[in-house]
Amino acid sequence: MTSIRRDILIGLVCLALAIALPIVMPGRYVITQSTLFFIWAIVVVQWNLVLGIGGIFSLAQMALFASGAYATAMLGFYWKVPMLAAIPMAGVITVAVGMLIGLACLRLRGPYVALLTLAIAQVMYVLIVNDTDCFTTVGGCMPLFGGVRGIGQFGDIGLRALFPSKWYIAHYYVGLALLAVAVTISIVVIRGPLGLAFRALRDNPGYAMSRGISRFKYQLWIFAVSAFFTGIAGGFYAIHFRVVGPTVFSFSTLLFLIAMIVIGGLGSIWGPLLGAAVLMLADEGMRELSDYRNIGLGLLLAVFVIAWPNGLNGWLQRSRTSRG
Amino acid sequence: MDVLIQIVASGLTLGAMYAVATIGLSLVYGSLNMLNMAHGAILTLGGYICYAAIVHAGLNPALALLAAAFVCALVGLLIYFSAALPLLRAENFETNIFIATIGIGSVIENLMLKGFGPYPIPQPLAVEGQVVIGNVHIPLQNVFILGVAIVLMVAVAILLQRTSAGRAIRATSMNREAAQLMGVRVGRVYAQVLALSGALAAVSGIMISSIATLTPVMGGDPMLKAFIVCVVAGLGNVYGAVIAAIALGLLEAATQYVLGVRWSFATLLLLVILVLIWRPYGLFGKQQVVRL
Repeated sequence: MTSIRRDILIGLVCLALAIALPIVMPGRYVITQSTLFFIWAIVVVQWNLVLGIGGIFSLAQMALFASGAYATAMLGFYWKVPMLAAIPMAGVITVAVGMLIGLACLRLRGPYVALLTLAIAQVMYVLIVNDTDCFTTVGGCMPLFGGVRGIGQFGDIGLRALFPSKWYIAHYYVGLALLAVAVTISIVVIRGPLGLAFRALRDNPGYAMSRGISRFKYQLWIFAVSAFFTGIAGGFYAIHFRVVGPTVFSFSTLLFLIAMIVIGGLGSIWGPLLGAAVLMLADEGMRELSDYRNIGLGLLLAVFVIAWPNGLNGWLQRSRTSRG
Repeated sequence: MDVLIQIVASGLTLGAMYAVATIGLSLVYGSLNMLNMAHGAILTLGGYICYAAIVHAGLNPALALLAAAFVCALVGLLIYFSAALPLLRAENFETNIFIATIGIGSVIENLMLKGFGPYPIPQPLAVEGQVVIGNVHIPLQNVFILGVAIVLMVAVAILLQRTSAGRAIRATSMNREAAQLMGVRVGRVYAQVLALSGALAAVSGIMISSIATLTPVMGGDPMLKAFIVCVVAGLGNVYGAVIAAIALGLLEAATQYVLGVRWSFATLLLLVILVLIWRPYGLFGKQQVVRL
């Protein structure tokens, strides 16, 4: 079986299981947590393209996610743009932000990129949180980016009105559909010419560049592609929670997501998804011990990087090859 | 004129604190190519140990400072043996150690949150009184910080330039293989550098908490600024980092006065991005030519 066929097969099985879940377990808690899982999984799958495939050590993904969420909220709040139009627009805006960050990072090497992107995210957070000047006074003082409290009341995609009691199941399927598209894109990128170009640049940069593979061009491409779906995920997060606040920049979310990628397996197609699922479940298990959550996450992250740098995916693959 | 004195005074204090926080990071990056993301947590730990030693154990302040430096040096050693040593044997050291230290930093930070609570605590190690220059009152605390920072920087410079351990550190950061071939035990150098960096972080944590307050998350901001300083100077360049730290401290004080506190960090960052676009290896960094 070729790898692409195997990917399609795994994808279809997962999709079928996910479609069946609300029928088997219709509880509201399970469904909303799964929707949250879809959102994080989209971000993680797209981040993996930059981090694992592109080999660009960018920590800007949460900043991009926040750009998408804020763009959606602000388009709805200030210009009354209907949400169905606002979310794709937010995707495009996020691409612009992503390309800007990509351009700023292009000439830099590994750790410089990580620091610069982390600093950019931090500055966005500081500027939003410290903003106390009223931009509008409609319904109370409201800074341009909503300040500490964030932005609310920017509209909805209409599923809450359409299914008054079952809207969360509708949102579940929207999230699932978005994730399916995001995973498909990631398979196309990894198995297609973009992935080939990046593998070539990684394995033998000199030869790849002399054959005319431009690092500049592909790096910008991968930033743009991954930014688009991250922005859309941000927009969906905004309408799902009905409020966007500066908490999306929090370091513990960043830690949570990077742990998903590392524990699942950096650079593989299914690793990040697996990692996201495992960590969401582990997080549920640790809910009782909420004080120890970040300690557990930090330990897991460190132990996995040190002991199993290829993550769960690498471990699965090794056990498969060793069996023959 | 008074405004200028005020800006220079607070800028020098900021710069001195950043410099002490940065030297450790820069030394570690220079010799191991390791970005220590747990640096901020170690820095905070230093502040808390000093607080606990004075308030709970009743030690005198000088001993408390030493105790904090000692504990944080041990944490540095622990990071070397538990994370850096095993990762050095595998591929992708730079990326993996970065992620591993994010995890370790989070563990330390949340342990402090459990142990000391989330509420700000004043740092007991403080000097009363003030100096008057012209019409400007400068707290003695700031003068004290500047003094300690200068003493530490001179000590580190002597260590690097005059002792055999310092020569080994410099040789390792210039060329690891060559140093190894000349009989430098690089493993020992790495352990020394991480311990030294932990101790320096502790001192800078105590300084920073003495003019602000102690909270479990206070290390994040100075760590990010220390990284910015490192990046501007060129990662691994210790002397460049000291100059850049003081320059950035002065710049921060000036922007705080002119544009307000809100914009100071954003201005710093904008400057860093511009510097990196103009010179991707930092102001004092040397471009590494890769031959294929």
